[in-house]
Amino acid sequence: MPKTGGNAVDIELTINGERTIVEAGSGDDLATVLRQHGYIDVKCGCDGGTCGASKVFVDGDVRMACEMEATDADGSEIQTVAALGTQADLHPVQQAFVDNFAVQCGFCIPGMVIQAVALLDSNPDPTEREVREALDDNVCRCTGYQKPVEAVLDAAQRMQGEQSVAADGGHPVSAPTHGDESTSCCGGDCDE
Amino acid sequence: MSNDDETAKADGGTASQSETVEDERFEEHPLEWDEPENNDKAPDERDSVSHRTEKYDDRKLVTGQAKYTADYEERYPDLAYAAVVRSEIPHGRVTDIDTSAAEAIDGVEAVLTPESDAVPDAKYTSAGQSYPEPSPWDMHVLNEHVRYIGDPIAAVAAEDRATATAAVEAIEVSYEEADYVTDPEAAFDEDAPQLFEDGEVENEIVGHDYDRNRMAHIGGELGDVDGALDGNTHVHETEWETIRQSHANVEKHTSLAYTDEDDRHVLITSTQVPNHTRRQLAHLFDIPIRDIRVTKPRVGGGFGGKQAMVVEPIPLALSLATDRPVLYEASREEEFYAMRSRHPMKVKAKTAVTDDGDIEAIDIYALSNTGAYGSHGMTVAGNVGSKPMPLYSKVPNARFEADIVHTNTPQTGAMRGYGAPQGTLALEGHLDEVARDLGLDPIEFRRRHHMEVGDLDEIAGMMGGEGANRRIRSCGLDECIEHGKDAIGYDDLEQPDEDHLHRGIGMALSAQGTGVAGDELGAAQIMMNEDGSFHLQVGGVDIGTGADTAFLQIAAEVLGCDEDDIIVKSSDTDVTPFDYGAYASSTTYISGMAVKKAAEDAKARILDWGAKLLDEPVEKLETGDGTVYSESSGDSVTLEDIGYEAAYGDDEREHILGKGTHCTEESPPPFAAQFADVTVDETTGEFEVHKLVVAVDCGVAINPGMAEGQIEGANHMSYEMAVSDGITLDDEGRAEVADFDEYGLPSATETPPIESILVETHEPTGPFGAKSVAEVPTNTVPPALSNAVRDAVGVRIREMPITAEKIRAKLDEREI
Repeated sequence: MPKTGGNAVDIELTINGERTIVEAGSGDDLATVLRQHGYIDVKCGCDGGTCGASKVFVDGDVRMACEMEATDADGSEIQTVAALGTQADLHPVQQAFVDNFAVQCGFCIPGMVIQAVALLDSNPDPTEREVREALDDNVCRCTGYQKPVEAVLDAAQRMQGEQSVAADGGHPVSAPTHGDESTSCCGGDCDE
Repeated sequence: MSNDDETAKADGGTASQSETVEDERFEEHPLEWDEPENNDKAPDERDSVSHRTEKYDDRKLVTGQAKYTADYEERYPDLAYAAVVRSEIPHGRVTDIDTSAAEAIDGVEAVLTPESDAVPDAKYTSAGQSYPEPSPWDMHVLNEHVRYIGDPIAAVAAEDRATATAAVEAIEVSYEEADYVTDPEAAFDEDAPQLFEDGEVENEIVGHDYDRNRMAHIGGELGDVDGALDGNTHVHETEWETIRQSHANVEKHTSLAYTDEDDRHVLITSTQVPNHTRRQLAHLFDIPIRDIRVTKPRVGGGFGGKQAMVVEPIPLALSLATDRPVLYEASREEEFYAMRSRHPMKVKAKTAVTDDGDIEAIDIYALSNTGAYGSHGMTVAGNVGSKPMPLYSKVPNARFEADIVHTNTPQTGAMRGYGAPQGTLALEGHLDEVARDLGLDPIEFRRRHHMEVGDLDEIAGMMGGEGANRRIRSCGLDECIEHGKDAIGYDDLEQPDEDHLHRGIGMALSAQGTGVAGDELGAAQIMMNEDGSFHLQVGGVDIGTGADTAFLQIAAEVLGCDEDDIIVKSSDTDVTPFDYGAYASSTTYISGMAVKKAAEDAKARILDWGAKLLDEPVEKLETGDGTVYSESSGDSVTLEDIGYEAAYGDDEREHILGKGTHCTEESPPPFAAQFADVTVDETTGEFEVHKLVVAVDCGVAINPGMAEGQIEGANHMSYEMAVSDGITLDDEGRAEVADFDEYGLPSATETPPIESILVETHEPTGPFGAKSVAEVPTNTVPPALSNAVRDAVGVRIREMPITAEKIRAKLDEREI
């Protein structure tokens, strides 16, 4: 399929554990190349870098695939949301999103799940504020972020072997400030 | 008024003639509803509908396996990609389109202009509404007369996206520029540049006056509003202004068209209205309805932006021209300047109040800026009055009027709330101000006047005729207020220690509808497999709301089977029964009731086969736990046994099928009470929203987890209306927003915690007592936050968004 840009070159990627050679044109972004090779779980909601739907792991770091030139990923190991769990055997973060009704249209969810997994990897017991900060560049139009934030906090507890809090619905909450982005949000109310 | 009030009023010495008239009015809309016994189940008897059942499509969504329209591209190896040339001037005529350079580019398959054979020249409206369409036919697929920066002029199809974009850039358009107008008040002037000539538009709307850029004027009155305004001491008038809000659906408008091996035209498309789109395409392209198939895969959000045939004609025309499948995916920039947005409005509210604090009259006027075209213009404006005003149906005199005006600005359309957010801001902000001016508690003031069970809502019929009046059979407003007050801590609000910080709580009520009264149709079909499982085919459209899950829970509740035993297929015009689509908060109520009827139809056949196998009369049998069982003998037979017997029995065989269609004159309002808790810094105007609480009466919540999700998401959208700029335009009407970073959608850290509270009532006209939920919480944050700021520091912001600068300016004014 001649769907890439000009000057196509072969690059080597390990995608979800599978080593593969893919063709990438100069200027092609990684999201486009991944989608062309069947990885449709990488979603594109904007035209580059402002919605977070295309987040994947590139050598363990979260990257918006639409913001990265495919040729720059040559030799990298890439994980998309499909690598985290299957429909029959979900990753605890995916399971927490399901159980907390954190998913509506689902279009932003692959990027959000990737970001949540990265957060819990580096910070297994985040505060609500830390979860909100981690999800800050993931645009979700459906949920108002309330249930995704609850889902990530729930997932943190599950992954530490504690009981799910999904059933009793919710966590203490913090609040943002308007008009002065430099101050912290909560005036001492939140649990940081 | 309640039944008791009604009696009291009738006994209260009014003339007997008017008593009779009033009785007749009430009798036409009786309080009692002939509700089937099985519709009103106690919470503990509901086997499925009240459960937090896992969303039907969630596992494929969280693993990224779900398919949206763009994900179908890999199925079509010869797919071509579309891109669109759009007007760069606000108003004028296209004098020449030079396509030669574009056509010379390798990989360009087709270039279409208004003159091309494949491009329809019929006029139409993009609004996806019922027929006859209540929006003017004022659009062309491609335009020679352009009316805003973004109007489509030419379209290309090419081998790949990059080539399509390059071709668009290579097309040279020459214009003869015309004067333009972007301000709706200026557009109303007699000397203003005119967008349409009189007689140019087909399917014109009531009150149009194209010489003054007016596409419609609507209004209605109950009682004598001017008389009440003249006769009362306290007359207040306030004016409010709302933003041009983007739907910001994360999946862009996307549509794939091809012609199949039977020469039928197929659209895989991200739409809320498959059946309306099919009808509109048939009209536009002069193709029989039967030869068009519109199917919706997963949809990445719509919020009204896809209650319209926004992009579908482009890929269809290009596929006809190229004889190839064509995919058109709008760019994110196009989403902001060339798709649809919420109508920005100025709304005036006026009331007359007696010395005793009784509201004698409410008078609302809206000036709606519909942009370059009139899709949804009249109907959205109508809802500015008809949705919020019935909250105060006890008020004897009421009037609503609206002018809907064209400007050379981007197109508007349907958006969640559909006029109610604009009207709710004006009414609920206004009443708050009136209460405070009169020294009354704003909540108690509303309590004295708000709607109750038994009321006859004549405001709903004020513009739609008496037939649109409705009797209120469920109303949880008092409970919503009580639960909301508790959750926000209304009675024990603590002020900050610092002298310059002031904390306040604002409150607003809201009502919506549940479907368009008398103008909805939903249908469903259930087929039983021999293993006792079912296929549910339903026209209702799940655009991410969870409607498919609600449908299967309703079906499972009736059939007495496990939810996992039902496969749902929705929204494919070749396969699923007819449906008006996902809008007007109708899906659970209308399509859901069709599902319930289909399930009951199938259940009757299942019980018949159960009676045969158990050798007991049907009357003694019931379904449950995947069986038909006898309440008297205790015997049972599984649905699987029935399925095999029905399909393969010796002497008699039957495919067990159930079908249901539903339409109604009813549109019961759901209700919400919104609270906002804010601290304002009086030295800077900066404010911090600590928490939003919204309590909602949606009748019986079908799947409370999903209902909460709807409420919180709607409240986030409402919060955006209160604090964000929306799509700002420059002097030529050019959108100044091109991506999510520039558009002020509150992010996770910028969004306050939102607490949703479900207040259960029972709506006898809805499936298992359900009303709608999706829109009513979209209406309430702007007034609640304006009221909260007023409560905290005594200043009133009436022009959205509420900003620190505006508060500071008001505080400064006050100090002078």
